[in-house]
Amino acid sequence: MKKLAWMAAIAWVMVSLVATGPAAAKSLVVAVDSPPRMMNPHGDDSDAGLSYMANFFDGLLQRKGEEGKLTPALAVEWEHPDALSWKFTLRKGVKFHNGNDFTAADVKFSFERLSSPEVSEFLNTGKQIASIETPDDYTVIIKTKEPIPWFANNMHQVFIMDKESTEARDPGDVMIKPIGTGAYKLQEWVKGSYVRLTANEDYWEGAPPIKNVEIRPITESSTRFAALVSGTVEIVTGIPVELYEPVVKNPKLDVVSRPARRSIFLALGNKPGSPMADIRVRKAMYMAINEDEIIEKIMRGHAAPAAQIPDPPTVGYNPKLARLPYDPAMAKKLLAEAGYPDGFTVTLSGPNDRYVQDEKICEAVAKYLAKIGIKVNLDVKPKSIFFPEVAEGTLEFYLIGWFDGTYDMGRTYFKLAHSRDADQGFGGLNGANYSNADLDKLLESTAEIIDPAKRRQTLQRLNKMAMEEQIVWIPLHYQEDLYAIQKGESIQFDPRPDRWMVYKEIDK
Amino acid sequence: MLTYIIRRLLQGVIVLLAVSLICFVIFRYMGDPVLTLAGRYATQDQIQEVRKSLGLDQPTYVQYVRFLWNAAHGNFGKSYVSRVPALGLILERFPATFELATCAILISLVFGVGFGVLVALRPYAWHSRAIMAGSLGGISMPTFLTGILLIMIFAVYAGILPPFGRGKTVEVGFWRTGLLTVDGIRHLILPAITLSTYQLAVLLRLTRAGMREVMAEEYIKTAWAKGLSPMTVIVKHALRNVLIPVVTMAGLQFGELIAFAIVTETIFQWPGMGNLLLTSIYETDQPVIVTYIMMAAVIIISINILVDIFYAVLNPKIRYD
Repeated sequence: MKKLAWMAAIAWVMVSLVATGPAAAKSLVVAVDSPPRMMNPHGDDSDAGLSYMANFFDGLLQRKGEEGKLTPALAVEWEHPDALSWKFTLRKGVKFHNGNDFTAADVKFSFERLSSPEVSEFLNTGKQIASIETPDDYTVIIKTKEPIPWFANNMHQVFIMDKESTEARDPGDVMIKPIGTGAYKLQEWVKGSYVRLTANEDYWEGAPPIKNVEIRPITESSTRFAALVSGTVEIVTGIPVELYEPVVKNPKLDVVSRPARRSIFLALGNKPGSPMADIRVRKAMYMAINEDEIIEKIMRGHAAPAAQIPDPPTVGYNPKLARLPYDPAMAKKLLAEAGYPDGFTVTLSGPNDRYVQDEKICEAVAKYLAKIGIKVNLDVKPKSIFFPEVAEGTLEFYLIGWFDGTYDMGRTYFKLAHSRDADQGFGGLNGANYSNADLDKLLESTAEIIDPAKRRQTLQRLNKMAMEEQIVWIPLHYQEDLYAIQKGESIQFDPRPDRWMVYKEIDK
Repeated sequence: MLTYIIRRLLQGVIVLLAVSLICFVIFRYMGDPVLTLAGRYATQDQIQEVRKSLGLDQPTYVQYVRFLWNAAHGNFGKSYVSRVPALGLILERFPATFELATCAILISLVFGVGFGVLVALRPYAWHSRAIMAGSLGGISMPTFLTGILLIMIFAVYAGILPPFGRGKTVEVGFWRTGLLTVDGIRHLILPAITLSTYQLAVLLRLTRAGMREVMAEEYIKTAWAKGLSPMTVIVKHALRNVLIPVVTMAGLQFGELIAFAIVTETIFQWPGMGNLLLTSIYETDQPVIVTYIMMAAVIIISINILVDIFYAVLNPKIRYD
């Protein structure tokens, strides 16, 4: 009798072990390098923050694909009837996470919110708007104060919030609970530990394939690496170049890489009377730097040489531009011709905690310039001190990186290359006070050009002038974005050019 | 005694004011938060507008007085980074750091005192020499090295302990604890050991020195002569007297552990206050930094006062007047 009871027990255990319930919902655990600052989609204009918001909210438009092509999201159609107006036709039948309907009133509310400094970092976008009209529930016409050719290009970064619930809630609550139209709802956010997302089954584009996402922000890169190797997470973003080798060698892991949009370059001032005002000196400094060696030794091969600031998809990228060759002998000759046979002294500034290997690149540049006789005083500091100095325009020669979220070189140049003009708002990040009247004139003329083909042509011409005739900057390289995933989970992950992690695009 | 306590409290308030002033002044000159807050494309005018709205265009002493006035009413300002009240942000993370610091101090007390007694009783045995050498290592090795080594050994190679985070936590009222789940306790092991190494080594050496001194005293010889069991002699008579300076030391270090477990929290991605402080310094989040340092000062001053009172209670010969 006892033996029978035992056998029955074993049989029961075996059956319960073998019988499988319904297939578990697909879930994903990801480790990223920065935590969300808040759940208010307008409060953080950095890509790290927007990356989180893109999952809870949608903008009028979105960017998809290799080239970040602008495609419809909450707006199904958009037109540019005249220089100042932008007309968006909205998608019908979309609901927010709380069940409210999405209408033009929500769009108007969201854009008006951009101008208030307490809740928004998109002040520039907000202040450019003169008026927002909503002729009916599904049409919005935005009029800007001045013609802005790239206005629609920015619409993938401005997310739409629900008017009723945002106005009804306490501002503190808005900061921690997102209510949007996005593919995912926030399940739980334990600050400093994790963010849990669940799929929005009623999403207008179709419910996303992965139903549960757990994002774990880990700022320390060696800990992120340990999390990946120990199998606790499935995707890791932001692999530093030093950890590339161990990841590649590990048979359980796969590396996914893509060329980044960010280019790293050196900016030089051109104060009349200073050595760098002479084009030959600028050429000499350009040719003295061995960029290939920097890419090989410092970036460990994970960078591509750049001949300009914008990346290929940006309007204004000129495929015909090429780097000056590395030629220290010629550089020395040019220096002597310009009247500096014994070189001169200059201070090179840069951040040490912002870009990949930024401090090491500065050190390398200093060494290359020393070889042609230019004495470089290194002044590398944390980004919180460095960037305000760039904004004040007091630097001589510095390292910086950039990529434009609007994919339009004109906007970038107004910030970086135009002579500093506080009233007009130009040259805000022209840290070495570079000034050239011809460049300014050509740049200002592009502000009126709306026709895309003509705009592309003029910007390319401007680019060529800046890089070849004037050497406004010495371009170095484009970074590479490195991610690692667990093999064997059949994760289909195609990194986006803007480094955003948009989970509706990932599948297993 | 009462006058002593009141005097200590007043001194504490003065220290707090001095700390807040120094903090305030230093961080005014370190980096400019307005640039990030106004967004990448803001014009100079828009940046100035943000500066005005935050009150950062006023002279430093005006800002300081306003800050003190608000602080006296419990308003420590809103974090520039997350736009929520700074004090709430810090207090939210207090349970995590408190649990970590408490576990660490318990580990260092238990093992520090335990090993200290062991080493004091048999100073020339091989295990004593090994422990003493190990304690030297514990004092000299930096926390981040210990942390990374432990992660490498236990999480990456052996795979038996988790490499980061707090694991499953349970919310009891407002306190989020990791002690009520097995997963939470597993996550606590490596960071607590890392944080405890330095204190352990210090307490070990302190106990050993104290024990060796006490064991040579006359009354201990009397106890041995009376034929009391070794346990009674060592623990009841000797250790009791040694423990007073040891516990005082541990109490003082506890305050430091709570306030400055920054490195351990960063390595293990522990969502505590230290982690928050580091991020705030990088992002130039002045309200959070100043609030945090004032809070750390309050914690350490209070613990110091409590330890002094406790010391007087333990040792009746001490009189404060």
